[in-house]
Amino acid sequence: MIESLYTPLAMLIFPGGLFALALGLSLKGLDRRLAARLQGRVGPPLAQPFYDLVKLAKKRTMVPDTACQPVFLGAPLIGAVAMALAAALVPIAGFYTPDPLLGDLLVLLYLLTVPAVVLMIAGSASGSPFGAIGFSREMAMMLAYEGPLVLVVAAVAMRTGLGQGGLVSFSLPEIIAYQQTHGAFLFDPLLWPALAAFLAFYPANLGIIPFDIPEAETEVLEGPLLEYSGPALGLFKIMSALKAVVVLGLGVALFYPIAPDGIAGLAVHLVKLIALMLIGVSVVRVSCGRLRIDQAFRFFLKWPLALAVLSLACVALA
Amino acid sequence: MSNFTIPVGPLHVALEEPMYFRIDVSGETVAHVDIHAGHVHRGIEYLATKRNIFQNIVLTERICSLCSNSHPQAYAMAIEQIAGLVVPPRAEYLRVIADEIKRVASNLFNVSVLAHLVGFESLFMHVMEVREMMQDVKETVFGNRMDIGANIVGGVRYDIDGEGAAYLRAQLDRLAPAVAEITALYRTNGSILGRTRGIGVLTRADAVDCSVVGPVARACGIDYDVRTKAPYAAYDRLEVPVHTLADGDVWSRAMIRLAEAATAIDLIRQCLDQLPDGPISCTSERPPIPPGEAIAKCEAPRGELIYYVRTIDSPRPERVKWRVPSFMNWDALRFMLKGAKIADIAIIVNSIDPCISCTER
Repeated sequence: MIESLYTPLAMLIFPGGLFALALGLSLKGLDRRLAARLQGRVGPPLAQPFYDLVKLAKKRTMVPDTACQPVFLGAPLIGAVAMALAAALVPIAGFYTPDPLLGDLLVLLYLLTVPAVVLMIAGSASGSPFGAIGFSREMAMMLAYEGPLVLVVAAVAMRTGLGQGGLVSFSLPEIIAYQQTHGAFLFDPLLWPALAAFLAFYPANLGIIPFDIPEAETEVLEGPLLEYSGPALGLFKIMSALKAVVVLGLGVALFYPIAPDGIAGLAVHLVKLIALMLIGVSVVRVSCGRLRIDQAFRFFLKWPLALAVLSLACVALA
Repeated sequence: MSNFTIPVGPLHVALEEPMYFRIDVSGETVAHVDIHAGHVHRGIEYLATKRNIFQNIVLTERICSLCSNSHPQAYAMAIEQIAGLVVPPRAEYLRVIADEIKRVASNLFNVSVLAHLVGFESLFMHVMEVREMMQDVKETVFGNRMDIGANIVGGVRYDIDGEGAAYLRAQLDRLAPAVAEITALYRTNGSILGRTRGIGVLTRADAVDCSVVGPVARACGIDYDVRTKAPYAAYDRLEVPVHTLADGDVWSRAMIRLAEAATAIDLIRQCLDQLPDGPISCTSERPPIPPGEAIAKCEAPRGELIYYVRTIDSPRPERVKWRVPSFMNWDALRFMLKGAKIADIAIIVNSIDPCISCTER
């Protein structure tokens, strides 16, 4: 009984679902406040993302005449559910280990592509030319950053697998356990290029400046999100909040999962997420401008890809 | 790659004012541009013939917020020509000061919006904060932040005393290093350079064909500035360097604006140094305006602004007509937008600093 409840609970309450949502929205609130302070503004209240969500929930969803309604309304739902599931797949060192039946790192990688795919579908289903441009940009971005991400994950998996005497290990709990005993990959020179590639990946995945190209407000007016309103837009906000938790949590699990057991482990995990969000997202997005899609594409093929390949080669040869 | 027609404007987050571009794109590249205007036509030229000559000073000031000093100044110059009024020297210097204060604020505004369009919000906030110093000056010296009401027919409405001059100097001393710092930033920052170098290029030949004016012309290497070609007010007694660049891209236009902001600070200082004593207006009453016609022009922040006024034996002018710099510059957008990327449309449009309320009045 308990076991059969375990998976739904992990998806709906903790660590996915409600917990991840609250965490993601809080992280967004912190990010907005810090970015505002860095720009010399006062900034919104920390709970602003929660207020936004409540406001959107109360509003009506408008569906454009030109939109394909089932796809238009289904896309955000699929995105939010996929991210809730993904959040349940990310372990919290010392506190939570996902059920192996739920999936491993490879499943997580697949789920991580869902938000981008969903945005592409939403953009093209909305019938707006800006949505269509957002679609093509989102696709280009995805092609650019997915490759390096897979190679980064492969490098970490291979490092763990080789360290354990096997070849590769795509189990996050094993990767964490390996780092708990052998030291975090953050301090492993072989994986530094992979870490750098990962640091370039997640602003792109989270859609923040300099890589917020598919949704660039001053260019394509939020692109795929342009025609969305009310609860449907709220679902996209939920998806984006959950995605922040998943991507940052994945970064922590891959590179610095060292944490004490029990509730302290959860606290340490939260501190790491906040630090990563503030340093890796807020500071990055206030300190530069947006790239053009061709510039971003070239950047990803040049640096993160090369770094990830380098890291993989180092790990394989060492 | 599929083809779309995307509407940019008349309501668009990247445009400050309503202007409608119908843009046919092929993939991410602009294939054809249609420019439509007329969304903020208010009939001001007609209105100007229904008000008396002195009321029109107030009216022309309200044509546009960013060039709100250039319009009444050119208008007053035309009326002074008709009436044969000689503006006292002190008033001429004060006119230059008002003109240049507005120029600093206007140019910084445009440059900050460039940062916003590039997605560099921190820089946008910073430049706006620096511009705020000039806004403070306007509020302190003229009593208003945008429409400063400096000009009247025959002189100026305001005076600067010792205390005012000291305050102005202190603000300029704070502003000059800040503008220098911003200029250095735009010269070196990768985000800005990556999005503005080689974008929206207008060749010198196209620039001549379109008769572009102001910073847009000077960024294409055309050495044309009304302040030196046909000096008005006190510009003939001041040292006015004209900045030109050869590339004609978005970045060059921004750099010209920044250089002119720095020059404007220097010009205000020169005026304060040379400011002669004397009256600020040639007459204390409203002078009689005989029938006649005149053309006057001045260098607004966006370029050459020309006024034509014809008076008859009536308190109201028979015709007031003006040609604004944006009217000359926005035709050049067709050349600049040719083959541009969608991402750069807003940046290129902003680079001519279009003033729709001037152009459509």
